[in-house]
Amino acid sequence: MSSNSALERTVNKVLSQKESDMITQIDSAYHESMNNLESSRTSIESDYERIIDAARKQADNLKRQVIGSTRLNARNKQLLLVEAAVNEVFEKAKVALRSVGKDENYKQLMNRLLEEGLSAIGKDDMIVECSKTDMELVKKSTAFSDRQKKIKLTLSEKPIDAIGGVRVRSADLSLTYDGTLDSRIERLKPLIRKSIVQMLRGEG
Amino acid sequence: MSETVGIEYTKVAEIKGPLMVIDDITKASFDELVEIESADGERRLGKVLEVGFGKAVVQVFEGTTGLAISGTKAKFLGKTMTMPVSQELLGRVFDGLGRPNDSLPEPVADRFIDVNGEPMNPERREYPTSFIQTGVSVIDGMLTLVRGQKLPIFSGSGMPHNILAAQIARQATVVGTKEDFAVVFAAIGVQYSEAQYFKRSLEESGALRRSVLFLNLADDPAIERIITPRVALTVAEYLAFDLGMHVLAILTDMTNYAEALREISAAREEVPGRKGYPGYLYTDLANNYERAGRIKGKNGSVTQVPILSMPADDITHPIPDLTGYITEGQIVLGRDLFRKGIYPSVNVLMSLSRLMKDGVGEGKTRADHMEVGNQLYDAYSRAQEVRALAEIVGKAGLTGVDLKYLEAGDLFESHFLKQNHDENRTLEETMSRAWDVLSSLPEGELTKIKEKNVRQYYKGKP
Amino acid sequence: MVARGSIVWVSGPAVKADGMSTTKMYETVEVGESKLIGEVIRLTGDVGFVQVYESTSGLKPGEPVVGTGQPLSVLLGPGVIGKIYDGIQRPLVEMAQKTGDFIGRGIATTPVDMKKKYKFVPQAKKGDTVQPGSILGTVQETPLLTHSILVPPNHRGGTIRDMASEGDYDVNQVIANTERSGYKTELSMYHRWPVRKPRPYAERYDPSVPLITGQRIIDTYFPIAKGGTGAIPGGFGTGKTVTLHQIAKWADSKVVVYIGCGERGNEMTEVLVEFPHLIDPRSGRPLMERTVLVANTSNMPVAAREASIYTGVTIAEYYRDMGFDVVLVADSTSRWAEALREMSGRLEEMPAEEGYPSYLASRLAEFYERAGRVRALGSPERAGSVTIVGAVSPSGADFTEPVTTHTIRFIKTFWALDTRLAYSRHYPSINWMQSYSGYLEDVSKWWKQNVSADWYELRAQSYEILQREDTLKEIVRLLGPEALPDEEKLILELARMIKIGILQQNSFDNVDTYCSPEKQLKLVRLMIKFYKESQKALREGIPLADIRAMPIITTLLKAKFEIPDDQVSKLDDLDNRLSEEFRGISREEAKVVV
Repeated sequence: MSSNSALERTVNKVLSQKESDMITQIDSAYHESMNNLESSRTSIESDYERIIDAARKQADNLKRQVIGSTRLNARNKQLLLVEAAVNEVFEKAKVALRSVGKDENYKQLMNRLLEEGLSAIGKDDMIVECSKTDMELVKKSTAFSDRQKKIKLTLSEKPIDAIGGVRVRSADLSLTYDGTLDSRIERLKPLIRKSIVQMLRGEG
Repeated sequence: MSETVGIEYTKVAEIKGPLMVIDDITKASFDELVEIESADGERRLGKVLEVGFGKAVVQVFEGTTGLAISGTKAKFLGKTMTMPVSQELLGRVFDGLGRPNDSLPEPVADRFIDVNGEPMNPERREYPTSFIQTGVSVIDGMLTLVRGQKLPIFSGSGMPHNILAAQIARQATVVGTKEDFAVVFAAIGVQYSEAQYFKRSLEESGALRRSVLFLNLADDPAIERIITPRVALTVAEYLAFDLGMHVLAILTDMTNYAEALREISAAREEVPGRKGYPGYLYTDLANNYERAGRIKGKNGSVTQVPILSMPADDITHPIPDLTGYITEGQIVLGRDLFRKGIYPSVNVLMSLSRLMKDGVGEGKTRADHMEVGNQLYDAYSRAQEVRALAEIVGKAGLTGVDLKYLEAGDLFESHFLKQNHDENRTLEETMSRAWDVLSSLPEGELTKIKEKNVRQYYKGKP
Repeated sequence: MVARGSIVWVSGPAVKADGMSTTKMYETVEVGESKLIGEVIRLTGDVGFVQVYESTSGLKPGEPVVGTGQPLSVLLGPGVIGKIYDGIQRPLVEMAQKTGDFIGRGIATTPVDMKKKYKFVPQAKKGDTVQPGSILGTVQETPLLTHSILVPPNHRGGTIRDMASEGDYDVNQVIANTERSGYKTELSMYHRWPVRKPRPYAERYDPSVPLITGQRIIDTYFPIAKGGTGAIPGGFGTGKTVTLHQIAKWADSKVVVYIGCGERGNEMTEVLVEFPHLIDPRSGRPLMERTVLVANTSNMPVAAREASIYTGVTIAEYYRDMGFDVVLVADSTSRWAEALREMSGRLEEMPAEEGYPSYLASRLAEFYERAGRVRALGSPERAGSVTIVGAVSPSGADFTEPVTTHTIRFIKTFWALDTRLAYSRHYPSINWMQSYSGYLEDVSKWWKQNVSADWYELRAQSYEILQREDTLKEIVRLLGPEALPDEEKLILELARMIKIGILQQNSFDNVDTYCSPEKQLKLVRLMIKFYKESQKALREGIPLADIRAMPIITTLLKAKFEIPDDQVSKLDDLDNRLSEEFRGISREEAKVVV
């Protein structure tokens, strides 16, 4: 009996121990799952935030990109228009130059260009080229006639296609000084373009 | 612009490598720009390297392939090479010589500027002190970029220097200001995809219309690369000092530039310095890199981020070596970190920003900024030593403090260094992460930080 | 008769001109229509080879080259201090006034303001006999510096026939007339001196007084003497320039000449921004009042880089001749050597190692030989010194390259900068095992007399700890620190403390940037005391871990920047605390044993 009741006591004790163990376990499991739930809720929330945030960022980027490229495209179209206008002005100017009368100023310019060209090449045997209409002018210029007395200097009979001005070459054609108005305009084009654009924009 | 009429010569005496020697020269000057016309009418540009005794040595930018001794004409233009500049350059794309590459017309120039630039008078320089926040922790915290600085990225083949440079270009701001900024990008012999990546990145951030791009790609003429950084920096200086903009100039890849220089030097049969590079490589690089900075009384600035790939990852190679002597620090990318998958793979121990001390601190960023940066260096360098030691003797052979350093080293890489391509961290966040790393060490180890700052920021157990 | 030639060939900074038969070697010439400044460096027949100090872009054959009859010279007189010059003594401030923010070409300026009046106080009088180098009088050049007006060293001397009375004069005005054997000369407050010719002196002394720089590793471990020579080689990023700036800032010399030779533009700007605000700890005046800058930045014409070194050293010698201690800092001599190499290449000379000319070594020797402590010429008797500190930028941080190896032959103090130390932010990254000073014995007497009798001993003891650590490191590398006995672990700990607490010094910290000799000594003494106490404690059976955990350690390591120079007595308090803490741990130990 006594041994039996001792056994019973032990069993009861173990059982109650188990019971309280189980209660604690259940309790803790409950808490744990509650915690999990809570934390997953916050993590879902933060995931949600993150996704929304990323989407917003992307939308912002897209907006920036669209605005940026639209403005850029508009600007570029404008550049093309301006360029077309500039070219037109240029072509018209060249035509106008061709028909303009060759006055005293032009004579002096020719003389200077010849002088410059002849001294730049600086050989004993040189050829001068010019447009058909300028041939007489060159022959009569002091720069040409003075030199002709000292060195071998020929005026090419083959005219060149130029608005005006001269081309001086060494006899072996290895050196060329291009003093035509055409090349001059070409060289000054970047500067002239600036003034045209300023005029187009009403700044000049 | 000069009105002198140049002379056209046809007596080509010799063509070797990128050089052309012309005989019977009567009038030519050093550095003069030359227009070369091949027999079939194709035009190229070049410049005079040497003139005298009736000869001129001309360097042909587009290379001499296809040029013949007879039938080639060389016209000396009576001026040095210039770049037309104006505000409308923004949003444009040019080739390596500064000619339009975007089917748009030649820009209408406000001015024409000699691409070689002139040395800035050191007395007129304004010392750089404005902190640029890049949003990249390792840069902001330890390698601070300052307006007007030249801070190169030393990289190796295949490493993400472009991603980092693009991230800097997108995110760079000076906190608390809203000023005009611009990006000048020079691609020097890089692949199409690399240039395209950069262009797209600018496009996506809406910054393309504030950018000027110069592209000399891998298959473009090599000698042209001599000019590419020069035209780019000419434009950068114009935008900065004429228009008052804050310009970030990115030059990639300067190694290709130096190689073009070597090619010319070899063709001229000059006595080489190290590894076949010319003795004047230092001076030549400096002429480009020194075109950064600020000027007294002017608003704008040129901040330069040149990128170069170190041949065989060797930092003692003449190109990174000489660059490091000229630039104000360097950001070195490390192969090990790259392999570990850490972006940005900055090897901080080899990296340095010389101007950091002037851009940070009380009143500019935070009083503990410099000290924290120094302590991080110290800690990470010790961590690396301990790592090496642990490989040999195992963790058991380490002291308790050593183990702490191991931990701090790992934390540094995962928590501070590593970040995303599009992650833009504030300075506060960067500093907070730095203190997280430092707080994994015992307080007594923080020997580079003043007591008061330790008390204020240290997060560990006292 | 001056030469009038014309250009026949141009390539970069090198120009050949014919018609130059009457010119002399190293004569200054005006090149081209824009009158660029150049110097004749070779003569062959009537062709002169000219190095041009300005950009030659646009120069062409046929343009004139005109001799000046003068070798490249500097103007020496009041007004030089506080100036920033380019490599050929053109003042950059005045150049900016003429050509703006970027440096233009062909600008004529005078090195000093010729109109500025100085109050001249005569020191000699009518009837006196003066020798070359004698002092005629003084002017106050800056509040810091009394400038002596000297009879030029190449003057023949003589009797003063006329002497200006005290009063205000500009540098052009005649202040004295001398006569010797009927030969009369007029003297003003300035004279010119050719830069490539060392200024003469009467006698050379042995350097024995240390140049105090306030940098612990320099002053305590690798000192340089006044009139000595030192070189500081290091790869990029090792902190060469910062160390040189520190020397320029804090050295106890009267005048500092700083040559930025082929270096960064912003570095010169930094000096220009900082120096006027930094106060000399000894005089209480702005540092700019004792400084002259010579700047040829890396993007300025390369030929002027070659000249900048000579311009600087000639100015330094001039102030030496007044009886001052002068420090000349040259950053970097490698760029100067490269400029030599570039010109040599253009001259098509036979190259020696790495393309450098064969005369590189002799040029370096000549330069460093211009340092020294000397008795100046003339009367009254006075001694002055020029200390030369040159930076070397070895390519690839390789100390076996020609400029470094040749420099080592001509200098006595060697501060080797170490890339690995720099990577771990140990600054100044002067490697204590590779560096040396040939002046240690010479200056120890000064320390003993002026600071403390046990200086030499303390230095030796602390250095020995570093040496022992260096050998122990090898073992640690193989076996780990735990393999060592406690006594040796203590060495490692002490070496760490010396490295952090003494060798490392933060130039950008207001307190740490300068450390007085007294403070240096006290810090070393504290470390040695800590070492001895620790040894004793170990012998008493106290575990090393307890010693390592002592709070005093962190305090000792931070003392360098937490305790300013004017409160060095606090270091004595630390001394007491140290003893106390040791008593504390040995009491605790005693308790445990009981």
